[in-house]
Order: sequence, then C-alpha cells, then structure tokens
Amino acid sequence: MRAGWKQGALGLALVLPPLCVLLFLVVIPAITAVVTTLTARAAGTSLFSNYAEVLGTRGLRADITYTVVVTLVAVSVTFLLSYPLALYLRFTRSRAVGFLGVLFMVPLFVPVVITSYAMINFLVNHGFVSTILYRLGIQTFPRLMYNATGIVLTQVWASIPFAVLILGSGLQAIDDALIDSARDVGAGALRTFFAVILPLNMTSTMITLTLLFIGIFGSFTIPFLVGGNAPQMLGVTMTAYLTQYLRRTESVTMAVIAFLIAAIVGAVYIASVSRRERGTR
Amino acid sequence: MSGSQWFQAVRVLRKTIGLGALLALAAFILGPLLSLLMWAVAGTWLFPALIPEFSLKWWFYVLGQEDVVKSIRMSVESAPVATALSALICIPAAYAFARLEFPGRRVVLLSFLSANAFPKIGLYVSIATLFYRLNLMDTFAGVVMIQLINTLLFMIWIPTGTFRGINRNLEEAARDAGAGPLRTFFQITLPIALPGLIVAALFAFIAAFDEAQGSLIVGTPNHITMPVLMYGLVLGYPQPVGAVFSVLLALPSLVLLLLMQRYLRAGYLAAGYNL
Repeated sequence: MRAGWKQGALGLALVLPPLCVLLFLVVIPAITAVVTTLTARAAGTSLFSNYAEVLGTRGLRADITYTVVVTLVAVSVTFLLSYPLALYLRFTRSRAVGFLGVLFMVPLFVPVVITSYAMINFLVNHGFVSTILYRLGIQTFPRLMYNATGIVLTQVWASIPFAVLILGSGLQAIDDALIDSARDVGAGALRTFFAVILPLNMTSTMITLTLLFIGIFGSFTIPFLVGGNAPQMLGVTMTAYLTQYLRRTESVTMAVIAFLIAAIVGAVYIASVSRRERGTR
Repeated sequence: MSGSQWFQAVRVLRKTIGLGALLALAAFILGPLLSLLMWAVAGTWLFPALIPEFSLKWWFYVLGQEDVVKSIRMSVESAPVATALSALICIPAAYAFARLEFPGRRVVLLSFLSANAFPKIGLYVSIATLFYRLNLMDTFAGVVMIQLINTLLFMIWIPTGTFRGINRNLEEAARDAGAGPLRTFFQITLPIALPGLIVAALFAFIAAFDEAQGSLIVGTPNHITMPVLMYGLVLGYPQPVGAVFSVLLALPSLVLLLLMQRYLRAGYLAAGYNL
C-alpha cells in the first residue's frame, strides 16, 4: 500500500512539468478562448449569441461544410492509398520494399510550407505536370491547383507516411499463423483480408482515420497557400478574421466550433483505444 | 515468413500494386520535390521547356539577403533549444506513463492530444494576450515556447511507447543483481530506449523547426524564423527564390532523415500511438 502511494507520487511528480506546459500554453488559453466567446457579446443577448451569429452567416456555414467535405475526401484518399502500401510493405520481402520503405517516409521530413510550395510549382498551370501533359499532346485538363483538388492532393502527399506507419505497426502485430490457418480452412485472399486482417487491424485503422481527420481538419498552411478564394477551410477563415478583419471574437468562436467537431472525432478515437485496452486486460 | 504465402496468393492485388503503382507513387512523391530542386538551380524556366536553364545566381541573391541570414540563425538557434527543453521535461514523464501507476494516468496521457486537436489559431489569440502581459512578445523565449507546444505530443507519446516496449524482466534482473533504481534506468533502460528517444527528438525537432503560424504572431518583427519568412517568399518573389530558400529550409530535416534512417524502420513512431 505504501509502495503504491510512493509510486503514485513519483509518477505525478515526473508528469507535472510537461503537464504545466500543457496547462499554460494549451488548456488555459483554450478555456480563455471559450469563455471569451460566451462573455464578449452585446448586453441583453443570449449566452450563445456569438455562435448563433457565426452559424447564421451563410459564408461561414459554407466554409464549415467545405472544411468537413475536403477533410473527409483527403482522409479517404490517403487511407485508400496507404492501406495497400502498408499491406505490401508488411507481406512482401524484396528490394522494392526497401526502396518503398524509405520513399514513403520522405514527406514526413519536408516542412509543410515547402510541401505546399513544391505542390504549387508541380501542379499549377504551366507547371511541371502541365508541361509534361502538354508534351504528350494533352492541353485541356481540370485545374489542379488553387482549389479543393489542390488541397486534397497536397494533404494526401503530406499524410501518407503517417498513415502507412500507423497502419503498418498494426499489421506487424498480426500473427502469421492466423493468416495461414485462415488459408488452410480454405479462405480466399480477399476473404482472409476481410475476415482476419481487417478486423485484427481495427485499432490502428481507427487511430489512423481519427488522427488524420483531426490533423487535416485543423490545418492552416496547406489550405492557405494551396486553396482557392471561396469557400475556404476554417483554419484560413479564422486566421483571416483575426489578422485581416480584426474580428477576434468571431475568429475564436470558429476555433471553438472547429474544436468541438474535432473533439467528437477524438472521442471515437479514445473509445476505440479504451475498448481494445479493456479487451487485452 | 509463412504469412507471406497469403500475400503471394493475391496475384491480382499484387500485380496492380506492383510495378505500375510503385512508379506512380514514386512519381507522386518525388515529382514535386524534383521540380522544386530544378527551380532552385534555374536561371529562367519558361513553359513548355522540360528542363530549366541552369544557373546558381539565385543562391547568391538569397544568401545575400540580410533577413534570410537572420532567419536562418533564428531557426537554427530556437528549434534545438525547444527540442532539448522538450526532451528534458517529457522523457521522465514518458517513463512515468509507461512504468508507474498513478491516479489519472490515462486521462493525462490522452490530454496531450489536445495540443493537436484545438485549432492552433484559437490558442494563439489567447497566448498572444498572455504573452503581452508577460512581456514575451517578440522575444526568443516566446518563440521557443510556441515551438514547444508542437513538440509535446511527439516527445510524450513516442517515448511512452518505447519505454512500454522494453521487457520489464531486464530491469528486474538488474535490480535483483543489486543495482539501484537510478543505476538501472541509466545503464539498462536508457540504452535500450535510445533509438526510440532519438526518433522522438527528431520528430520534435522537425515540428519545432516547422512552426510558422504561431511564430508569425509571437515573433514579429524581430524574431522571424525560416518558415515564417517562407510565407512571404512563396507569395511575393520569383519562383527560384522560393525554391532556393525551400532547399535551405528542408536541408536540416533531410540530413536528419538520412542519419536516422536505420532507426526509423523499426516503427517507433507507430508504437507511440498504440496507447
């Protein structure tokens, strides 16, 4: 009993310094932000009048919808590209795997400002891709930059390593014997995938999807540099409201709304992780 | 590897994500970087030429700018300080998360996710107000603190996963042989955990070095880091200027990638997220 108490005290003491940083630089500023949205309003209006105003503005509602849609598309494309790649890296042994293993990591080491800049020069009209298409005789193709397509492509480029790493770690943990036994009782390749691999890798899948969603949903640099004029993603809109229109309260209100949406997705993540933890203990 | 038999059987899948997909992926990932590199050594590059006219003149132009040199210094000084500070406070905490039982352990560990879930701009508004009061605006310390926020998640979660992956029996054996808790940590646990901690530090460094949005608010006008300067270069200069600066900005992390490649394959990053 005494040893347990000592261990608890030591644990708390060790955790305290980063927790203080989190409190002072994240939690307290965030709470201050939420309080501001509830108190900074005209006298006689309701507690949620700032929220009502933001959600009542048609342009801002469009931005929220746009952000959700672009994020969902970017997450889906990233996921659909990353899962086969993770499977390939897990179940194949060849020189190509070694090459791929390094290649798919590269975006992780490129700062997002550069990613955006490289993508602009790559995909913009008269950029690298359009030069190659022009040489191949293709002169009309959809615009790839300064719109939702540009945002999705850039987000996918930047997110692939993260998704492959997390999915790969889940696949690594699957016992080869399970796959073999599924094969032995006559399951085909696709059946083995859907009946054995996919369910066993569910935690990694949930972690990947939720963290991708939170990351892309709250992003600023990529949509700011690569996106179009209207509608815009929320990160860009709230920054513009703060720095250009000097409308601080609206900006913070949008931040809280964005956080609430991210928090719902975060709750899914926590639920899936805790369910697994209960299962193993 | 008998599980690989399963994959061998998926011929169709294997063929589709075989050579063709490999090349497409390589083109998708390397293409933008290649075009950026070509822009960095271009004098002029007019459509529809496939290859630019070679010149290094923009390098002299960029490196001759006073604010460029100043921003390089600012970045090279602040990001390592933020990383070291982060390692100092987070690694002991990660050990506690992995090895010690204390009330609220899981909740506190998960709370670090909030550093990445709350939209940063909403935080920076409040932080700026706080920093004004504490006289931290436009200071080195202020920029370091902003960078610190971005490193927390990496420095807590990856080392926690790493420490958790170490077999307790090794530590217990050392304790049985008479080593004290500190000696066990420094002679047994730390050396085994080192690759994971290096990976964490690497990601923390990149996150700190990469921070632009908050540094722009807190560091203006005298403490401009490289990514902050890059925003201006992207929007208002000829393409080679941005490209040259991008290469300079990407250099530290790419050098680190090459140095750390061996550790990265071991999946330390992933270990951190499987709480």
